[in-house]
Amino acid sequence: MFEIGRLCVKIAGRDAGKKCVVIDVLDNNFVLVDGQTRRRKCNMRHLEPLDKIISLTKNASNDEVIRALKEESIGCEEKKEAKHKQSQRPTKKKAVKKKLEEAKPKKVKTKEAKETKKENTENPEKTETKKKSINKEHKSVE
Amino acid sequence: MPAPRYRSRSLRRVFVRTPSGKSVLHYRKRKPSKAQCGNCGALLKGVPRERPFKMQNMPKTHKRPERPYGGVLCSKCTRIKIKAMARQ
Repeated sequence: MFEIGRLCVKIAGRDAGKKCVVIDVLDNNFVLVDGQTRRRKCNMRHLEPLDKIISLTKNASNDEVIRALKEESIGCEEKKEAKHKQSQRPTKKKAVKKKLEEAKPKKVKTKEAKETKKENTENPEKTETKKKSINKEHKSVE
Repeated sequence: MPAPRYRSRSLRRVFVRTPSGKSVLHYRKRKPSKAQCGNCGALLKGVPRERPFKMQNMPKTHKRPERPYGGVLCSKCTRIKIKAMARQ
C-alpha cells in the first residue's frame, strides 16, 4: 500500500491534512515522507493513502519531490532560506561616528582653511615687524 | 463563622500556605468547565482549564493542540474528518 511514490494525506499531528509522498520504506511500520509536510519519518497509521502514485526514486531530494508535486498541481511551500546566515550585529555608535568623520572631507578642509587663514593673519604682522626693524635701522644710519 | 458572602459555595476554597507555615483559607472564583469535542463531546486534551484573564496571557500554542481543528475537535474526530475529506 505504502510503496515509494505513493501520494498520501497526513492524518495526525500539526501536518494533518497536508499532502505528502512516500520516499522510502524504513520498516514494517515507518516510511519516509516529504512534500507539503516536513521531510520526516512517519508512522503508516498516520497516513491516508490516495489513489495516485508519482514516479520518484528512492530518497528523492526535496526539490525533486516539490517539482513532481507541482506537475500534479499540488503546491508546496519552498524551503525558506536560513534566517541566521550572518548575524548582523548592531554597530556601536562611536564606530559609526568615526566612519562618518572619515567620510566627511569638509572638516579637514575647514582645518586647512583655518591654517591658511592663520598664516595670512600671521604674515602681515611679521612683515610689519620687519618693516619696523628696517625703519629703525634706517634711523640709526641717519 | 466565615463572612456572610463566603458562606455559599459559589466560590471555591483554596488552602494557601503562608510564609510563616500557617495554612489559610482563600476564596477564589470557580474554573470554567472543561473543553469538549464539538463532534463527540469527549473532553479535549491540551486545552487548559483557566479563567479568561489567565488564558489571555498564555501563548497561543499553550491554549490548544497545534493541528487542524485543534481545540475544537478531539484527535479521533479530526482523523475521521480528514480521512473522509481525502477520500472524496
